[in-house]
Amino acid sequence: MTPKEKYSPSEKEAAFLATVQNGKYDRDIITGLKKFMAGTVPQDMQGFYSQDELDAVKALDGTKRDVQARMPVKITRHYFEQAKNSLAIQTLVKASPKETYDLDGAEDPGKQMTYSPVEGLIHKYELGLIYVASTCSAHCRFCYREELIAKKEITRADGTVAAKGLAQIKDIVDYITEHNRIVAENGGRHPETNRERLREILMSGGDPMVLGNKNIAQWLAALAQAGIENIRIGTKEMAFHPKRFDETFFAMLDTFHNVYPRVNLRMMVHFNHPDEVLLKGPDGEFIDDPQGGLVWHPDALAAVQAFGNRAWINLDNQSPIIAGINDDPEALRILQREMRRNGIENHYFFCGRDIVGHKAFNVPIERAWQILNESQQGLSGVEAHARLSITHYKGKTEVAAVTNEPVPGVKGGENGVVVFKLLRGAADASNRAKVTIVGRNPEAIWFSGYDDRVIVDEAELYSMYDIPAISAVAAE
Amino acid sequence: MTYVVTDNCIQCKYTDCVDVCPVDCFYEGANFLVINPDECIDCDDCVEACPAGAIFNEDDLPEDKKHFLEINEELSQIWLQITDQKDPLPDATKWDGVEGKLKYLIKEAPEN
Repeated sequence: MTPKEKYSPSEKEAAFLATVQNGKYDRDIITGLKKFMAGTVPQDMQGFYSQDELDAVKALDGTKRDVQARMPVKITRHYFEQAKNSLAIQTLVKASPKETYDLDGAEDPGKQMTYSPVEGLIHKYELGLIYVASTCSAHCRFCYREELIAKKEITRADGTVAAKGLAQIKDIVDYITEHNRIVAENGGRHPETNRERLREILMSGGDPMVLGNKNIAQWLAALAQAGIENIRIGTKEMAFHPKRFDETFFAMLDTFHNVYPRVNLRMMVHFNHPDEVLLKGPDGEFIDDPQGGLVWHPDALAAVQAFGNRAWINLDNQSPIIAGINDDPEALRILQREMRRNGIENHYFFCGRDIVGHKAFNVPIERAWQILNESQQGLSGVEAHARLSITHYKGKTEVAAVTNEPVPGVKGGENGVVVFKLLRGAADASNRAKVTIVGRNPEAIWFSGYDDRVIVDEAELYSMYDIPAISAVAAE
Repeated sequence: MTYVVTDNCIQCKYTDCVDVCPVDCFYEGANFLVINPDECIDCDDCVEACPAGAIFNEDDLPEDKKHFLEINEELSQIWLQITDQKDPLPDATKWDGVEGKLKYLIKEAPEN
């Protein structure tokens, strides 16, 4: 046995942890397609895939276009129930041969490993992201962590090749403590990255909510003890199995809050489409709630409301805009309205990343901007807080504007322009709010689609790859 | 669905699986470990972690090991949860790979 130094909780943590109970969850997960192919799934699930669909996926098994190897297939009973009446959700969760028609994409999108000083930790921006689980209760086909979930081997910055590992409490606590010590000794900024103290950690994966309460509690307490003020949990469990947010979970949170009253919890939830939470009538339409808004699935609503009763917890939704799932202004309008009405802030919508197979999922950048813009027409100001974000290696970038009119006198601006704004520099905090302007290309699904039409590049999204602005090319 | 511990764990009990399990769904007997099928989240992490190669996805269980599904289910109800890795049984390397170990399985719940 490899002796590993374990994290030893303080007395304060131990006292809290002793109170935590694990709940029991009946997710009724079906993993893989074997049971669908063998007809051994429950009776009502048997038509979920047609025979043709199963045959098409099976034909690719073991080939380089293996759909199940690209991203394991998984669904819960609750999500199946919501999917029965929704083509969008079926597209989200059902394996399709389209995913591997074009295998173009990055093995490590956003080159996350270069921001990983410790196994399982990504330190970008002023935020640390930790992988605490390598699975979710169900799997979105478009998952941009497919390399983690499918345990693919990734080339590291140092040239070694290995699957991404999970974070260990001791490693993470040691890193936070050391980073914050250096920052404190240098007047509040890290001398190399200009970053501040690590105040915020995002627990991610996979989905932290697949972990038991005790396991989650160990993380919360250790992070709080290390001086983290805001803990985020990134989860899609409210869509996949909302009953996970049960009394035992909230009892754990309430005790945690009593012990660490100044630590804030930010639940980063993930709803892509209103069909994930709303009920439909016999006509297939959403149901008006006579008391306001639309009728939710009671389990999802109960989970959201239980969080809402705890003022120290914020709920924020973020979702990519994905072809065939939610590239639909009307659906996004309802989603944003229902989120906000029920206490969930609309944080980001994302352009899909350049994951392996991304061409099956991504919507062109300009189209995504138009869809979001159209969805927000008619929303009130507080409902329309969400911005469209695309993650550049440099940092999180907003697709701030797309003009319809040409920009006279500007070379490259003949068909209008796209304005990118760096929201947060991943490595260097001082890059915030710098702008890059490119000529329009309605087909572009990634930054590379604008390589030949860069007009202004203050944010250095292109110059970092030695791609010059057109004016510089013309001057040569 | 679930994952299933099979006969090659018996008399070895390496417990590497316990260290990687995100949901602590392993239960411990005197000379064997089992997975609680209702708690397993199908992450697949334990399969590679097991030095004895004793853990299988339910769908990949070889024909002659299918009865272990029921054994895991039954024993996880009476054994105690194990959440921390410990040393393997003393003769683990000697027993690893020995055929027909089921007859040595001690089903009684260990006293604590």
